[in-house]
This record gives sequence, C-alpha cells and structure tokens, in this order.
Amino acid sequence: MPASDPVIRLDKVEKRFGKLEVLRGIDLAVPDSTTIALIGPSGSGKSTLVRCINHLERIQGGAIHVGDTTITADGLERGGRRLSAGDIARYRAGIGMVFQSFNLFPHLTVLGNIIEAPTGVLGWSKAESTDKAMALLRKVNLAEKAPDYPATLSGGQQQRVAIVRALIMDPRIMLFDEPTSALDPELTGEVLRVIRDLAIGGRTAIIVTHELRFAREVASHVVFMDGGLIVEQGAPDQVLGSPREERTRSFVGRVAH
Amino acid sequence: MSLIRLWNLLVEYQDVLLSGIKITVVLAVLSMLLAMVVGLIACLGMLSRSRILRAPAVLFVEFCRNTPILVQLVWVHYAWPEIIGVKFDAFTSSMIALAMQSSGYLAEEYRAGIESIEKGQIEASQSLGMTYWRLMRRIVIPQAFIRMVPGILNQFVTCFKSTSIVSIIAVPDIMYQAGLIVSATFLPMPVYTGVALVYFVLVFLISSVVRWLSRKLPMTSYFHTQQHAGV
Repeated sequence: MPASDPVIRLDKVEKRFGKLEVLRGIDLAVPDSTTIALIGPSGSGKSTLVRCINHLERIQGGAIHVGDTTITADGLERGGRRLSAGDIARYRAGIGMVFQSFNLFPHLTVLGNIIEAPTGVLGWSKAESTDKAMALLRKVNLAEKAPDYPATLSGGQQQRVAIVRALIMDPRIMLFDEPTSALDPELTGEVLRVIRDLAIGGRTAIIVTHELRFAREVASHVVFMDGGLIVEQGAPDQVLGSPREERTRSFVGRVAH
Repeated sequence: MSLIRLWNLLVEYQDVLLSGIKITVVLAVLSMLLAMVVGLIACLGMLSRSRILRAPAVLFVEFCRNTPILVQLVWVHYAWPEIIGVKFDAFTSSMIALAMQSSGYLAEEYRAGIESIEKGQIEASQSLGMTYWRLMRRIVIPQAFIRMVPGILNQFVTCFKSTSIVSIIAVPDIMYQAGLIVSATFLPMPVYTGVALVYFVLVFLISSVVRWLSRKLPMTSYFHTQQHAGV
C-alpha cells in the first residue's frame, strides 16, 4: 500500500438501528498519522461511526477500509478471504479505543487492567508487560495507583488508566469516543493533556468530542456531522472559525458560547 | 413429660438418626455439585447464538423448573429404566432428580449474573482483542460469579429441604429413618417433632451462613455488587 493512501477510508457507510438510520452514506478518508476531530450534536451518529471502525457495530451498507482489511455488511475480509472470529479479535487489537464511560475492569487492579490484554492476547510475559505498564503509568502520573482497584480512582484517573490500557497494545489507530464527556469539568484538562501528549503521538486518531478548543488544538482535520451525514469538513480553523454551512455555524456557536 | 420423652427418644435412636442426617447432607451436597455443572452447561446453551444449542437448553431448563420435584423423582426412578434402559438405585435416582430440579434454577441464576455485566465491559474486552471465550473467562464470569454466590447458596438451601421427599423411594435419609422409628415405637409426635427440629437447626445454620456471606460479599469485593434480597 503506498504511504499516501488513507489508513481509514469510509465509503458510503450506512448503519441502521431497526428503522432508525444512524449513518446515511458516510464518505471519509483519514490519511496516515493524522488526527480527526468528529463533532456534532448528540444523535448525529459520530459515536456510532467510530464504533463501526473496530466492528463493535455492524454496518448495513457501504464499506470501511482499514489498512488491507475491509468491513462490509457481510463482515470482515482481507484479500478476498473472510476473517474468522480470531482474526477479527486480532484486527481489533491493532486499534485502541477509549470509551466515554472508561469501562475499566472492576475486578482487576489498575496494573491488572493494563496487562490483561498484552499477556492474554499478545502473549507477552508478565514481567515485560508489567515493565511497560509501569513506564506508561509513570507518564500519566499514576504509577503509585498500580495496585489499587478502579473504584478507588477519580474519573480523570480512571480515564487515564483506560488510555494506558489501550496504548500498551501499541495500536496503529486510536479511537476516542467522547473521552471527557463523563468527567467533571475540572478533570477534563488532565485527560486531554494525556490524549494530546501521549496517546496521539504520531498515530492515526479519531476523536469524538464536544471540546471544540481541544479539537482545534490537536486535530489536523475537523469533521462536522448532523443527522447521520457529514455536513462539513476541513481544516480546524476553517470549520470551527468560519464555517461555511449554516448548521455548522449554529452548532459551533451553541457549543462554544 | 413430653420434652423428656422426646430427648430420650432422640438419644435412643441417635445412631439411626445420625446416619439419616449423613445421607441427607451427602445427598444435598452431591446433587448441588452436579446441578452446578449441569446448570452451567444449560446456561451456556441458553446464551449460545446457535439455535440448535439454545432450543434444547431452554426446553431442559423450563422442564426442570416447571415440574414438581416429587414428579421428577418418581419419573427418574420408575420411568427412566424403561426410557433409557438403565435402572439406578434409589440414592442415585434421588441425586439425579434433585440435581435436575436445581440445575434449572441455577441455569437461570447464572444467566442473570452473566447478563448483569455491563455491555461496556464486553466492548472494552473486544476492543482489546479478546475473543469471546477469553472475555467470558477473564472478564465476564469472574465478575458475574460474585453476583451469583447468594443465589447459588439460596438454591442449596432449597435443595437441602427438597431432599426430605426422597424417603418416598426408600432412600434412608432422616425422614425415612423417622418413619421406621415411628412404626417401631408408635410415637409420631415426638419423632416427627424431633425430625422437624433437626431440619430446622441444619437449614437455619446454612441459611445464616448464606445471609452472612451475602452481606459480606459486596464489601469484600472491590466493586459495587447489588445486594440480593432476603434469603
């Protein structure tokens, strides 16, 4: 694959929940090592879109190309061969995902959460996984929390652990689904800093967010969605600073107040 | 004085009664262990995406839960020899019937526990590259198990009490021994009162442990488990 090809390409992607059309023909190209900020009102389909990329949601029409893997309504395939459940798991392992509600495993310690997938999925030794986990935890200032259980951590701390849990897999792509929406306002800063300074780090990233200032700061490209369609996309300064479409203007005006 | 008569009787027949208690306890424990395994298989069948696995599992569970234990006992002991061609001794038949009854309820208990795990846990596991079996084994079942413990123990209490009907096919449990003592002594009042007391003490002890554990569990676990309603 030539380096200039987009890592992620969506081609007329359609997604329905019953009769509700959530994605109505999305075309989007995400070039290698770029950061896309997905913005839009709730219900616009932006969370669903990122969840389709790692196949947490099935699509009903169109195609999603990620590297040499293609997702269609029929499932996943690579080089004309249908992927098995194990292949799909490996595909997902290469894509890091951070959820709005953190989703840490409550029965495992912070360290246990982080090394679960490297040891179980990638087959690393426990010592190696622990070393890497501790190095990452130090970078997010949570090394002393390694033996604690998630329930004892603040929301901001939990989300930083969740980011580390995704990063230890060294994914090529990072997906963030409203990573700060469940946090108290005073805790969003620490999480956004970690996303900016550590998690993106040269990777291809898609961030669903309501933090427009953050989007402007980190994104190379901003995509505005409404009603299951991409209304407008372009450079952050253009989309957020001088939007062409009326719907974008009113959304940016409402959120930025 | 009837209390003294009761005591004398219990002392006089203590060996028989103790052997009855032993049979009751062993039967309850073995049936429960068998039910836990069979219930788990039935539960996995019910949760399966394959219809061929799901349909018989659902049928089995509904049958177990919707037929009386006495009917199951008699059916296993007297009808199975003709259906499957194997005749079990009374103890084995009792164990199978009791396990059958409990496994239906346990399968539901397991399923409720597994389904109570938040979807986000499964999605996070999937996004980290875990396969279905790995995420069940490492993430879902360990969390679900803690939520299931009170329900499993409650089912044990029910199973223990249900053992009292096996005397009907001549398993020498406490009930059966009591019947023999009554025929020898013609003293139903003290004998059956004694048996009631023995059951009460045993079941009350088990129930108390269950209650204590149910209260204890959510605190020893590091996360918020819903406290199950009374025992």
